[in-house]
Amino acid sequence: MTRSVVASAADAVGAPAAGPRPDSLAALLGKLQVVVCCGSGGVGKTTVSAALAAAIATVYPKRVLVLTIDPARRLATALGMTRIGSDPVPVPAAQLRRAGLQLRGELAAAMLDQKSAWDRMVERYAPNRQVARRILDNRFYQGISDAFVGSHEYMAMEALYELHASGEYDCLVIDTPPSRNALDLLEAPTRISDYVGARLLTWLARPSRFGFRAMNLAASPLLRIADRLLGSDVLGELGDFVNDLQTLYGGVQERARAVSRLLRSSRVGFVVVTTLEPPAFAEAGYFVSKLEEFSMPLRAVVVNRVLPGFLLEESAIQAAQALIENHGSAARLARALDAPVDAASLFGLAGSFSLLSELARRDARQLPRLERLTRCPHVQLPLIPERISDLEGLARMAAML
Amino acid sequence: MARASRRAGLDDLLRKRVIFVAGKGGTGKTTVTAALALIGARRGLRVLAVEVDAKGDLPAALGHPPVGFRPVLVQRNLSVIALHADESFQEYLGIFFRVPRFTRLTPLAGVFDFVASGVPGPRDMLMVGKIAYEERRREADGRPTWDLIVVDSTASGHVLSQLTAARAMRKLVRGGMIGSQVDFVDAMVTDHRVTALCITALPEEMPVAEALDLHDQVVRRTDIGLGPCFLNRSLTPAASRQRRLLELLGTPAHTRAVAELVGDGVEGVVAGALLAERLAQQAQPHARRLTAGLSVPVIPIPLVATRPGLVTTRAVAGVLEAAA
Repeated sequence: MTRSVVASAADAVGAPAAGPRPDSLAALLGKLQVVVCCGSGGVGKTTVSAALAAAIATVYPKRVLVLTIDPARRLATALGMTRIGSDPVPVPAAQLRRAGLQLRGELAAAMLDQKSAWDRMVERYAPNRQVARRILDNRFYQGISDAFVGSHEYMAMEALYELHASGEYDCLVIDTPPSRNALDLLEAPTRISDYVGARLLTWLARPSRFGFRAMNLAASPLLRIADRLLGSDVLGELGDFVNDLQTLYGGVQERARAVSRLLRSSRVGFVVVTTLEPPAFAEAGYFVSKLEEFSMPLRAVVVNRVLPGFLLEESAIQAAQALIENHGSAARLARALDAPVDAASLFGLAGSFSLLSELARRDARQLPRLERLTRCPHVQLPLIPERISDLEGLARMAAML
Repeated sequence: MARASRRAGLDDLLRKRVIFVAGKGGTGKTTVTAALALIGARRGLRVLAVEVDAKGDLPAALGHPPVGFRPVLVQRNLSVIALHADESFQEYLGIFFRVPRFTRLTPLAGVFDFVASGVPGPRDMLMVGKIAYEERRREADGRPTWDLIVVDSTASGHVLSQLTAARAMRKLVRGGMIGSQVDFVDAMVTDHRVTALCITALPEEMPVAEALDLHDQVVRRTDIGLGPCFLNRSLTPAASRQRRLLELLGTPAHTRAVAELVGDGVEGVVAGALLAERLAQQAQPHARRLTAGLSVPVIPIPLVATRPGLVTTRAVAGVLEAAA
């Protein structure tokens, strides 16, 4: 499939939410076992993920789970629920039906809890409970699970792997963290194992360990600096912590390899979600090229919040120009309409069209870049300006996917 | 907000020596940082604009290619620097241990990297420490090298741990050289006469929620002073007369009459103006929620249709000054 599937603005505003068509994105992606949605923050990724999961469950009689890492309540809100926890909860089919979504399968949602995911990892890979306890209680551990670059991403992948392996769901749709650096996500599995196993860390491990004497000469001035920088108690404590941490290495590395294999397999597909806002779009481009570089299969690009096409029409742009530039417009209009028309209002009105028209033109110039970047299908979702209920909005979006 | 108080907001802000600009990704941090730097420089202040994540966006917003760890003069009175933790670390060692730069520090950097990724303190501390160092820098004649430092901070999730790094380090590292230096960094960050944190937001659900959350955390958990909040991509609903005109033009008979004057395109113009009005109306509750939830004034920056870059930065700077 190489052509784009474009949902027009008219479809979005007028038509009631029907089910997705058989050639839809949902039909295509629903054949996969794992769909990873990525993109920068603020592009509506969580909502798109939820809509995509819902759409897949309307096309196929499958058990579909949408998983979010975003601690903000966006997923719950999008699905019309009050709370979503780390255990999957079913989304009530009746509620979805009222909003216009007729499910053939089942839809469930879950939100990943970072902290407990890290804790579970430590407990799983530590050689015994004593070591696990020591790691969990260490003050450096708190810092690691909070601050390690890529830890969010890794935990997302870890949770994904577990859910996939459990076989409880036919299709998993995962809403990734709004990672500024796309690499974090894709390198996450390998980075985490490097991190836990970094050979350099053995330096910090207890001096009695292998090789210390040999490295002592080279290492000691540096260790002295580190010592002066941090204070000796810190270095010692850190060393103990590293010793414990390294016991996790084998397990983590093995799992990281498995996750990495899964992400490259044919059962998995990536979807890049973006808007045409220049920074988000630039990030999407970067994402697309990185996925290619890491040979991870990109299946679709979803362009969210596209401005309607009439803003690009030459006749409208000229009419607005005429209203703005022609000083007699207001008076002539007043005569034609037989109503008072003040110049300021007319100017303001034409100006607000022109602003959106300029935005639409700026956005439209980006689309050819997308075509050049990837041949995979892309779907444009129109900007919906009305304030509609969350589920109704979800249903409309699902209908376009 | 009245113009007078908005002006006071901006003037007060530019009297600080260090401004951190923070907010959710995509809320216009970089543009606001660049615009504040530009305004400061125009007013004759010697300004240093600081990029923390080194993506090159801040120099680009000032019409300049990416810069490195040394300040580069990009406009009259305005220099830009990009901070890297590794280079901060090297410089730090250079200053305090007389370790020459370019000494092979790779192994130590690895150890540092581990500590830094495990404990948020040191890395953040070095970033903020470098800013504090620049703040303290003096020329031969004794005057400060920079009158104003504007920092394009990391995304809101991380900025707090960065600004409170010194304090966090205090708890973690009781001795050591870093331990003895954290106080001066902490003093700079928490001195309201010197430093202000400005939050950026958009009139949308999540950016407002995140801005309010950051605001509350700063107020509850830190002693950092807050500057005004910048609400980017603001859309103002039309005045009632303009809305009436829009309604008038929207009725088919009238549309035809106007089409005779300015062409068929008028239908599109009306539809576009209607869409803009809907978007503005939709943004209002978010903007109100932001204003109501903050202890600081909100300065709106209207939506502009240009791509990020010097043109946009100048436009935003112009808006800020004109509004003031």
